[in-house]
Amino acid sequence: MQHEIVARPAASVVKLNLDAGETITCEVGAMLAMSTGIKVETTSGKKGGKGGGLMKGLKRMFSGENFFLNHFTADRAGQTLILGPQLMGDVVHHNLSGTLVVQGSSWLASEEGIEIDASWQGFGKALFSGESMFWVKCSGHGDLFLNSFGAIYEVNVDGGFTVDTGHIVAFEDTLQFKIGKAGASLIGSFLGGEGLVCKFTGQGKLYCQSHNPPSFGALLGPKLKAR
Amino acid sequence: MEAETRNRPSFANIKVDLGAGDRIIAEAGAMASMSSSINVTTRWNGGCFGAFLRRIFGGETLFVNEFTTASQGELVLTQPMPGDIECIELKGTTLFLQPGAFLACEPGVNLGLGWAGIASFVGGEGLFRLKVSGNGKIWFGAYGGIFAKEVEGEYVVDTGHLVAYEPSISIRMGMAGGIFSSFFGGEGLVTRVTGPGRIYMQSRSLDGLAAWTNGQIW
Repeated sequence: MQHEIVARPAASVVKLNLDAGETITCEVGAMLAMSTGIKVETTSGKKGGKGGGLMKGLKRMFSGENFFLNHFTADRAGQTLILGPQLMGDVVHHNLSGTLVVQGSSWLASEEGIEIDASWQGFGKALFSGESMFWVKCSGHGDLFLNSFGAIYEVNVDGGFTVDTGHIVAFEDTLQFKIGKAGASLIGSFLGGEGLVCKFTGQGKLYCQSHNPPSFGALLGPKLKAR
Repeated sequence: MEAETRNRPSFANIKVDLGAGDRIIAEAGAMASMSSSINVTTRWNGGCFGAFLRRIFGGETLFVNEFTTASQGELVLTQPMPGDIECIELKGTTLFLQPGAFLACEPGVNLGLGWAGIASFVGGEGLFRLKVSGNGKIWFGAYGGIFAKEVEGEYVVDTGHLVAYEPSISIRMGMAGGIFSSFFGGEGLVTRVTGPGRIYMQSRSLDGLAAWTNGQIW
């Protein structure tokens, strides 16, 4: 499977070249265009409808994703597929080998063989991290595509790193994070507008987004009329 | 200190590499991520009284954060809206910023408040404007791309598109054309700037987005 990400970072899409028999699983509504030699199958779990799809689908709904997943399989060689998110923003490729924990709505697509499951992040983190209640846990080997509102940048964490709430896209499970305060004093952290932050420890790769929808919404919202 | 503005113009953000002894001051809430070796200190945005005035009239936050480190570290600063960020170096000079545009500055920069006038208020640009002066770099952001223009004589900018201007520029509100074209031509009030001096404009306006969005809500 070959891929190319174009129109970064504001209007990113990923162009895929699929060989005969290759399958990519993606978020519902992500397909923009495709050639005619591609078959689509919609399930709530794995391709072929096997493997406890109902619970996984429900959990995925809690993580901000759709109940259903679309599986695109090429019938013959040289098929192309274009995938993109709904909002304007960035798309990045991650070569998965192990487990990546992805923020609720940032999972876009993954190669067949990658297990996608929602995982509960715990009450404290759910309330204070500025992210959804569940994370999408991707494990296995293969190509994985993530999207965000804003540009995505990569950080190789070695020791400690701090991310403001609402700016996490994904992180390798060799990293852990705790909710903490931004500065030395609690009052200062809140008055300084940073409030609570996510403090990462460990070693591994972390993806952050430069912007986030809630901050933009807070700015634009007051200018909108009531529905 | 090394600072780089990345992902321009749609999702501009500033990546700052801080070394020991370096300081950068940013608007509250601007930090997206940072190394754990960086310390944050929150303080009044230029004195308690001044901070209140700037909060109420300048559209700025009550507090600012100062980032320092004892060793080294990286810091990413951002703004709430998608758009561009511009960096200007002040050398004893002054720049006026529209409310909400200020993002970050080096320690040698003073943040003050200047009277913009009733005409500016009527034109939807606010009664006050932020005045930055001193020595050092300042960063300001906008919704959309930022472009600069050297104005000689008079120049017309649509309301909501002026982001920053030099103190040699004088500003008054006016109509775009005659009464008919001003009200039916979609331009309404405009800002008339008189030079010589440099102005910075944004290619989109949040009010424009809000008006479009409101038209889509049923």
